[in-house]
Amino acid sequence: MRPWVPWAGAAMAAAVVAAAVAGGEGLLSGGGTHASATVLEASIGRCGTGWTHARPGAQTLLVRNTGNAIAEVRLVDRAGAVHAELEGLGPGVTRPMRVTLGAGEYALRCSDDSAGDPRTGTFVRITGGGPGGPAVPAVSTSDLAGAVSAYWTKVTAGVGRLAGLTDALRSAVASGDAGEARRAWLPAHLAYERLGAAYGTFGDFDGKINGRPEGLPGGVHDPGWTGFHRLEYGLWHGEDTSSLGRVADRLDKDVRDLRADLPQQRIDPADLPLRAHEILEGTLRFELTGEADQGSGTSLATAAANVEGTRLVLDALRPVLRSRYAALPETDAWLARLDARLKGRTALSELSASERRRLDGTTGQALELLAPVAEILAPRRTS
Amino acid sequence: MTDRRSFLRGAFAAGVGGVATASVSGAAASVSGAAASEAGDAERPLRGFHGVHQAGVEEAPLPRTSVVAFDVIAENRRELADLMRAITDRARVLTAGGVPDGAGITAPPADSGVLGPDVPGGRLLVTAGVGASLFDGRFGLASRRPAGLTTMPTFPNDALDPAWCHGDLSLQLSARDEDTVVHALRDIARHTRGAAQIRWRMDGFVSPPRPSGTPRNLLGFRDGTANPAPADLGRLVWNADGGTFLVVRLIRMLVEFWDRVGITEQEQIIGRARDTGAPLDGDGEFDPPRFAADPIGKIIPLTSHIRLANPRTAQTEGSRILRRGFNYDRGVDAVGDLDMGLVFTCYQRDIASQFEAVQHRLKDEPLVDYVRPFGGGYFLVLPGARDDRDFLGRALLA
Repeated sequence: MRPWVPWAGAAMAAAVVAAAVAGGEGLLSGGGTHASATVLEASIGRCGTGWTHARPGAQTLLVRNTGNAIAEVRLVDRAGAVHAELEGLGPGVTRPMRVTLGAGEYALRCSDDSAGDPRTGTFVRITGGGPGGPAVPAVSTSDLAGAVSAYWTKVTAGVGRLAGLTDALRSAVASGDAGEARRAWLPAHLAYERLGAAYGTFGDFDGKINGRPEGLPGGVHDPGWTGFHRLEYGLWHGEDTSSLGRVADRLDKDVRDLRADLPQQRIDPADLPLRAHEILEGTLRFELTGEADQGSGTSLATAAANVEGTRLVLDALRPVLRSRYAALPETDAWLARLDARLKGRTALSELSASERRRLDGTTGQALELLAPVAEILAPRRTS
Repeated sequence: MTDRRSFLRGAFAAGVGGVATASVSGAAASVSGAAASEAGDAERPLRGFHGVHQAGVEEAPLPRTSVVAFDVIAENRRELADLMRAITDRARVLTAGGVPDGAGITAPPADSGVLGPDVPGGRLLVTAGVGASLFDGRFGLASRRPAGLTTMPTFPNDALDPAWCHGDLSLQLSARDEDTVVHALRDIARHTRGAAQIRWRMDGFVSPPRPSGTPRNLLGFRDGTANPAPADLGRLVWNADGGTFLVVRLIRMLVEFWDRVGITEQEQIIGRARDTGAPLDGDGEFDPPRFAADPIGKIIPLTSHIRLANPRTAQTEGSRILRRGFNYDRGVDAVGDLDMGLVFTCYQRDIASQFEAVQHRLKDEPLVDYVRPFGGGYFLVLPGARDDRDFLGRALLA
């Protein structure tokens, strides 16, 4: 077992050599031309037409949309596992589909943007040959409904805790005691970071509540900069608490608005699997570099909160993921290792250069393992 | 003006006189392989991955290289062995070429795609080594540190930055094209993230012959003229087990200052003619300098780089090294001067009696005013992987 090789494994090592020689009809070797190859048709009416002889091994199938609607095409086996897909195949367009096929039965499954069910073509049988490439059963939007609902329940509870803490933060700032305000800032901010807001989870609220000054014309002095980091900047740069009162009030209000809006917000099921790695992508980019820090020196505490946010997503997805992702236990193990490296740490400056490399590499490895989740659980139309 | 420059002028004033000298680095006399860019060569595959020695030492330097030091972050010996297997596996795959795995719908693409869908084989050299720090307490290897593997010290004319020094592992990737190097580095880093992190990295290039002979460095002089002949490598470079010791020196060249120095002085600092690469007492690049006939350095100054680096005496014959220089160019410094220089690498059986002996002879040479060594390290280039089952470092970790 090589923990840092997410897609490794004996079968794949063999496939690296791949490419092979163009053999049967409808096939094309890696470097060949399209000229003489038979083309598989992919449309609702003629799904898989032309694929009569299949051969084992690594190969490129040419797939042409002979219908008049935009098509999605998948190569599936008898068990329903998807080996390859082409999305958005326009009418008249031919695209290559690269696969490695072992013994078994395979067919194309075609759907288009009309309302009808996907159509599965005739299965072709392959005997002999080496192991096939990786494949996984498709997940539908409704398969993800349970995960989304479980996740949203947790997020709703988290936003409730957040609202209490930002309220306390507002009071602390209003009291005029800068030390108390700084002490109240961190738990409130971590409560937000634990939610794993990344890349638009909360729409415009994320920018208001947790925006950074980059991209604002006035930078840290831009009047449009609000939220935790704006408050952090003020509290750790000696700004008067009386002038920060408005910032804290605004933050408190934005969090309340988020809380009130939450029941109306809908999370796109397609987004949740993306969050599995996106939260920590942001951590690596903004926290482990120190870029997001506005003076509090709490990047590592934020990173630990982001690990919790990642686990929130992963745990919600676990029921659909468990049978589809062999590296899930390994992923959990690397998240645990990452958590351990962050334990008891608050500031980036606490770490030596070599400790930082250990933390960065552990985060990077966790990310490599989390990234496949988005691919495996991307919702796909199933029959 | 520095005192060393004054020292040189002093030497002139003393009438020892104008004689000239030659190359920036150091070493010895003979021919480096410079043929990589010759016509026809471009399509010929490089040597295969497996062998007694790793590739990338004996071979003629390729135009593009990246020298990378890693720190190992693996938690234990088993993970370290997994790391060495992963590096070996990726090097094997990357040098062989082929169509990368399709991950289908189960993962993002396995390959960056930088080299297209079918990675060309035989276009990459991968050379891996280990540093002394790997043999600290972390992996139970303290008793296995090869005697000759030490930590690069600070030499008298150095200005070392710790962030650019040492490392648990070294990795050099060389190819004809930059995209091949970048592709390999991305691939190897991706497959080893949880076990190793890049500590420092310097990219370099080998210039084409201008107009012929050994490629020039960024001081404008041919660099690497006097390397040992292939037949001498067994004696001077290779250890009995197939490994060798690597010294990397990252040397900033103060090219603006250098460009403000007259040609006679430049040539005397080096010991060679800039245009031809010939020693100042010769006509052609590969003419051997006749130091014995010029005992007080009237033609080639006693302080010239080539004379100190390789005095060509019986006593210094054993200190010769196989040196490879790669130019680097990476932007602009705080005063607007160009940040460029040399990634000096050399191979030898014994660092103390070879590189360090040369380096001690070069102490305070006039050239030191124009260069600033700021990084590098010592590494043991592991014996080659013999076959598909072998991996780099297997003997060390057994």
